[in-house]
Amino acid sequence: MTPTDLPTRSPHPLAELRRGEVAVVAGLAEHAGFDDGRGSGVVLLARLRDLGFVHGARCEVIAKMWPVGDPMVVRVGGSTFALRRTEAAAVKVTRLEEKPAAHAQLAAKGTSAALA
Amino acid sequence: MDAVVSTPSLRVALIGVPNCGKTALFNRLTGSRQKVANYPGVTVERREGERTALDGRVLRILDLPGTYSLSPTTLDEAITRDVLLGRVADAPAPELVVCVVDAVHMPIGLRLALEVKRLGLPMVLALNRMDVAKKRGVHIDVSRLSTELGVPVMPTIAVKRGGADALIEAIQPARWEHHRRTTAPVWQDATPEDAEQTQADLRGLLAAVGYTTPRESPWMARFDAVLLHPVYGLLVLIAVMFIMFQAVFSWAEAPMDWIDGGMAALGEFTAASLPEGPVASLLVNGVIAGAGAVLVFLPQILILFLFILALEDSGYLPRAAYLLDRMMGGVGLSGRAFIPLLSSFACAIPGIMAARTIPSWRDRLTTIMIAPLMTCSARLPVYALLIGALIPAKSVGPFNLQGLVMFALYVAGILSALIVAFVMKHFAGARQYSPLMLELPDYQWPHAGNLLLGLWERVKIFLSRVGGIILALMIVLWFLSSYPVPPDGATGPPIQYSFAGRLGAMLEYIFAPIGFNWQISIALVPGLAAREVAVSALGTVYAMSAAGDDVAGQLEPVIAATWSLATACSLLAWYVFAPQCLSTLAVVKRETNSWRYPIIMAAYLFALAYVASFITYRVVGALA
Repeated sequence: MTPTDLPTRSPHPLAELRRGEVAVVAGLAEHAGFDDGRGSGVVLLARLRDLGFVHGARCEVIAKMWPVGDPMVVRVGGSTFALRRTEAAAVKVTRLEEKPAAHAQLAAKGTSAALA
Repeated sequence: MDAVVSTPSLRVALIGVPNCGKTALFNRLTGSRQKVANYPGVTVERREGERTALDGRVLRILDLPGTYSLSPTTLDEAITRDVLLGRVADAPAPELVVCVVDAVHMPIGLRLALEVKRLGLPMVLALNRMDVAKKRGVHIDVSRLSTELGVPVMPTIAVKRGGADALIEAIQPARWEHHRRTTAPVWQDATPEDAEQTQADLRGLLAAVGYTTPRESPWMARFDAVLLHPVYGLLVLIAVMFIMFQAVFSWAEAPMDWIDGGMAALGEFTAASLPEGPVASLLVNGVIAGAGAVLVFLPQILILFLFILALEDSGYLPRAAYLLDRMMGGVGLSGRAFIPLLSSFACAIPGIMAARTIPSWRDRLTTIMIAPLMTCSARLPVYALLIGALIPAKSVGPFNLQGLVMFALYVAGILSALIVAFVMKHFAGARQYSPLMLELPDYQWPHAGNLLLGLWERVKIFLSRVGGIILALMIVLWFLSSYPVPPDGATGPPIQYSFAGRLGAMLEYIFAPIGFNWQISIALVPGLAAREVAVSALGTVYAMSAAGDDVAGQLEPVIAATWSLATACSLLAWYVFAPQCLSTLAVVKRETNSWRYPIIMAAYLFALAYVASFITYRVVGALA
């Protein structure tokens, strides 16, 4: 979650979104962030796509498990899914809007102009 | 295969994503008694039903396991695909596919429908939960959907009477038989390009029919804010589990007393109205004492199942799996294992079968191996008997001490399961990544009819067990403990001279170090067939050892008077692990397709049970 990403709005991993944040899916990662040598990564990406994590889909983070948001709950395309951090990291998203708390924090970092 | 068929039936398969209401629709169509639940993948068994269509012909309806895609990630999903392709023995490819799509969560369902359509099988789309969709602001142009897809689309409300009438009208065999395929459908896993194309088609379709994302239900959001919260959510989960186990003890008290009193009265009545002899002894000591000892636990088992069914129906269980995923990951389990393991509290068999929904073999095997450590309802009679006999029913704060001990025994089972899983994790080789990716369905009120059907099913299973296997074993045990009759001038109770008495005396050598007397040793043998039989067996053995006309329902005071606390605690510890359940081992053999795992399971459970009982017996003996 580096502030330098914000002005250019380059895609973030979904796993970095905070609770309440809304974003649009930019696409899936080329590779899943792990390799167990059995092709599970490819299957994982295919399934994420089938569940609706496709370019342009709006998603919102509903809940994150303590302490590091693993797993997390994401609503996409009208359905709600629990995803592990590894799974959510494979989805690239662009932030759409920030709810007040997140917005205030961004403003404090002096990046609110870029969001206007 | 080549039977003469005058009016051939039509094979119909229901397919859809998990939680789309497919199973409810199946019930609506077939009237079959089957449970409907919210957990993705509850339909792990092949379920088939029949219905007479409006044209008088027979529909043979198959309820396929829910799947998100025809490129499977779990065994369940693979079965669904293979049935559609006609690759499963005993399940010829369906002649008509009814694809069930939840109108509220239309995108995932419709995407699957597009894949299914590509197989080229005759197809009808059932657009389910239309009522909920309307309430949440989703308005779908049904006729447009039908035109765009090129298949009939029938709106349904599976949970309402008459909610499937349009579909029933549409699936009459006469309308579909000329669509029969002669060649088997072919499926190739989607390439990324195919997948892109499907997504593009899906977007176009959704826009054309006017689908909009459903309005968020404010009360569901409020529920989720609490139930998915890392702290409050876990507290609620602990509270729910705790209330469930307290209820098993306190709510069941009154009905258990009625059954107990009824059986005792029946025993006395039978003893009084029959001439003394083998027949009276068989009926009173064998049948009534044996069956009665188990029957009395029916209320507790039903309360346990009521909770599990209601939790399943409400949509809460996948949320619990989410909350526990991290913790279970620590011992090498997936949060997905929570649901099979919770079912195992009722009975390990459905639990072990539900483990099919876990994608990775390693995780699935671990879940299967620890499922018997979840205290199943068959162990309840044993716990309840011993706790009732030896633990005073006093209050500790707001709780009942007996309930607390029961809770502790359940916790002991869970802790040992975690330890075993942890050990397995370290013995196993490289792990395959096992995704969570679990859908959290909409909350809904448990459907009263569903719960009643589910409970009625349990009553039937339980009574047929009591009436069948348990009764048969009791009669065998009665025979073994009655013959041969004691020689003239014998001083001890007659059972000591019988086959069972001698067998018990031999087994006592093995079990004496852990404090079991010969009565317990005998009771463990029929307990192999069904754990709760151990209680019946004790009932029979003690009834047979009693000098006079002591009858059913008197087991508790006998135990309270004759067993040491150390022996009782040792038996409780034994039953936390209780290796003896042949049906569980048989299911493990079937599910893992090898003798290796059931043998390992029996061996490790037996070893744990013996060690735990030994330690318990020594420690309690030293303290008391």
